Amino acid sequence: MRKMKGNRLSSIVMHNLLIAVLAFIWLIPIVWLACTSFSSYSGMNTSTFFPKEWSIIHYIKLFQPDTVAQFPQWFMNTFIIACVTCVISTAFVLMVAYATSVMRFPMRRPLMNLAVILNLFPGMLAMIAVYFTLKSFNLTNSYAGLIMVYSGSAGLGYLIAKGFFDTVPRALCEAARIDGCSEARIFAQIVIPMSRPIIVYTVISSFLVPWMDFVYAKMILNAGISEKYTVAIGLYKMLDKSLINNYFTMFCAGGVLVSIPISVLFMIMQKFYVEGITGGAVKG
Amino acid sequence: MASEKKGAAASIGGFFKAIGNYFSGFGTAFAKGDAFVKLSALWMGAGYARRKQYVKAVIMTILEVAVIAFTVTFAMQYVPKFGTLGTVKMEKVFNMKTMKSEFNDYDNSFQILLFSLFSFVVWAAFIVVWMKNIVNAYKLQKMEEAGEHIKTFKEDLHSYIEEKFHITLLTLPVLGIVVFTAIPILLLIFVAFTNYDQQHMPPTELFTWTGFTNFLSLFGGGGLTTTFSYAFVRVLGWTLVWAFFATFTTYIGGILLSLLLNSTKTKWPKMWRTLFIVTIAVPQFVSLLLVRNFFSNGGIVNTICANIGLTGFLRDIGLVSTSYIPFLSAPGWAHVMIILINIWIGVPYQMLIATGVLMNLPADQLESARVDGAKPFQIFRKITMPYMLFVTGPALVTDFVKNINNFNVIYLLTQDVYTTTNQAMANSQAKEVDLLVTWLFRLTQDYYNYKMASAIGIIVFIICAVFTLIAFNRMIGNGKEEDYQ
Repeated sequence: MRKMKGNRLSSIVMHNLLIAVLAFIWLIPIVWLACTSFSSYSGMNTSTFFPKEWSIIHYIKLFQPDTVAQFPQWFMNTFIIACVTCVISTAFVLMVAYATSVMRFPMRRPLMNLAVILNLFPGMLAMIAVYFTLKSFNLTNSYAGLIMVYSGSAGLGYLIAKGFFDTVPRALCEAARIDGCSEARIFAQIVIPMSRPIIVYTVISSFLVPWMDFVYAKMILNAGISEKYTVAIGLYKMLDKSLINNYFTMFCAGGVLVSIPISVLFMIMQKFYVEGITGGAVKG
Repeated sequence: MASEKKGAAASIGGFFKAIGNYFSGFGTAFAKGDAFVKLSALWMGAGYARRKQYVKAVIMTILEVAVIAFTVTFAMQYVPKFGTLGTVKMEKVFNMKTMKSEFNDYDNSFQILLFSLFSFVVWAAFIVVWMKNIVNAYKLQKMEEAGEHIKTFKEDLHSYIEEKFHITLLTLPVLGIVVFTAIPILLLIFVAFTNYDQQHMPPTELFTWTGFTNFLSLFGGGGLTTTFSYAFVRVLGWTLVWAFFATFTTYIGGILLSLLLNSTKTKWPKMWRTLFIVTIAVPQFVSLLLVRNFFSNGGIVNTICANIGLTGFLRDIGLVSTSYIPFLSAPGWAHVMIILINIWIGVPYQMLIATGVLMNLPADQLESARVDGAKPFQIFRKITMPYMLFVTGPALVTDFVKNINNFNVIYLLTQDVYTTTNQAMANSQAKEVDLLVTWLFRLTQDYYNYKMASAIGIIVFIICAVFTLIAFNRMIGNGKEEDYQ
């Protein structure tokens, strides 16, 4: 009996040790980012892992905009773009996913196949043409153009949400229909409240698009006006070969500051994610 | 195998059958309809006005007038020049009246192409509406003959939250996809058959149709440009290898990590999960640019490796010929590092998705398997994996395609760091670590070679389209959707 307990204990220790080792490996670059951002030296520290002298000077510098770094302005720009993109994209994804998962209509399968075909084209290829189109309508170097680029085709990313809607029990919808509920109400008041996890997932991923992307932003906001940049291009430009020796630590500080709100958001989402799944209605 | 083919064939067949039905429905409507149905072909509101659906009649009339106005004032400027893509080159001419030199009334090939295409799309959509309109007018006529109730405008509107709710849901997203994906793709398909490159840049120069020339040079047919086919084969090979490893390492890794974290043996699972999520909470351009400097030739990892003697050891066994380890700057090393770094960045994402899906695992199946004495590995293989594949299967297919087009990881890790030493690759502006998309991007952004970029894009599309459609049809087709409901 005691021996078995010992076995179980050691297996628990091994199990948690394995997780700890993995977490350690995963966190090394993040720790390096955080430490480097508190370095007093502006360039990249290549000799030691931890900075030789600690200082918060580069955080202070971030809020004193110069011609290269205008971090507060970039942050606001990105935030506004992200909010609008998030609302439009989430709505589009959920609408398409619901229509293809729950509703049955003759064009359903052909439309889904068409979506797969469109997804197979390199997005970059379409972007080049979109750039020219936006230019013809004078929408380059504007946030409206960028928001359109981010959210216009969002409907194509419906598959994950559809996979989730497929697991929502049909009996519920049928029951509502018999009770005289309209299709729109079934969508808004029955299926959507049951689908919090996938909504959260969609919200996270679409809110993150403008924060993560820099290629499209670079393409659209190409006039080189620093105060119009998003955080991504702004920070990317800091690592230019001619600037990296003066701005690397500031890049790290900016990276930390961008990551904090996103992490907080992630944690809130995470809570919803777990709750939404376990607290469902009639499951299985 | 046979069933796969049947699935793909059936869906394509069904698509054409639907179109066929549409046309035959239109034929009968037009042949058997009364005078007002036939008049609808000219005045789209006629059928509705006759059946007292006045609001609809007005809407249809306005639509018709708008399309005619569009055709006359806009489309006619561009569509007639579509065959040649313009003939008048931009020139400065001296204007006798103003005594200044001015530009002549030149043709812009790109605008001709873009706006012609836009007109074609508008016309195609209008024809569909026009045909549908006649079918509807005929339907109304039959309903009136049978003495059925004809819907009022209010009832018509109501049907858009009832049996026609899918139209309400799909209209805006589909419009977005047409404008921001479908039209641009069509546009670039056309560009692949032109000579649009640095020597033929509108507005100063014209470009024109050249048939299959670009595709020939991609496959080594065009004498001087054989380097393009050389680079193409190599870049394509690496793209496929990358997509395969990137997709499956992160997918399996994500499932294993989430099983590990959700196990009853795990102490403080919330804390561990949070730690892993922190790594993806940092935006990719920060973390990847950071990792790129972390592993750079003069970076911190190289310093540590040199200090502990790893660099010396690798040099002794001949894996490294420089004084540093070229993590991201030599072929082979860079390829492996890119896949490893992608695991670091991709596994927590997949873990998040897998955790959500695994919580929905049919508990009764797990319980009965345990009662029957199934081992954990058997449960994983027979219950967990099939369920995961069912829910995330379609996403796995799109993940693969996304990785083929995964621009961020490759661009952020290798841009400005990796320079190719292979002259044949450099001649066609490619690198060994390039994916087709990063190559496309460089061709268009730095070298303005739109014709080759478009041709490459189309070839890639054809290669993976057939393969993926089959996989997709097999996974979500065959009525499997209802299995787990």
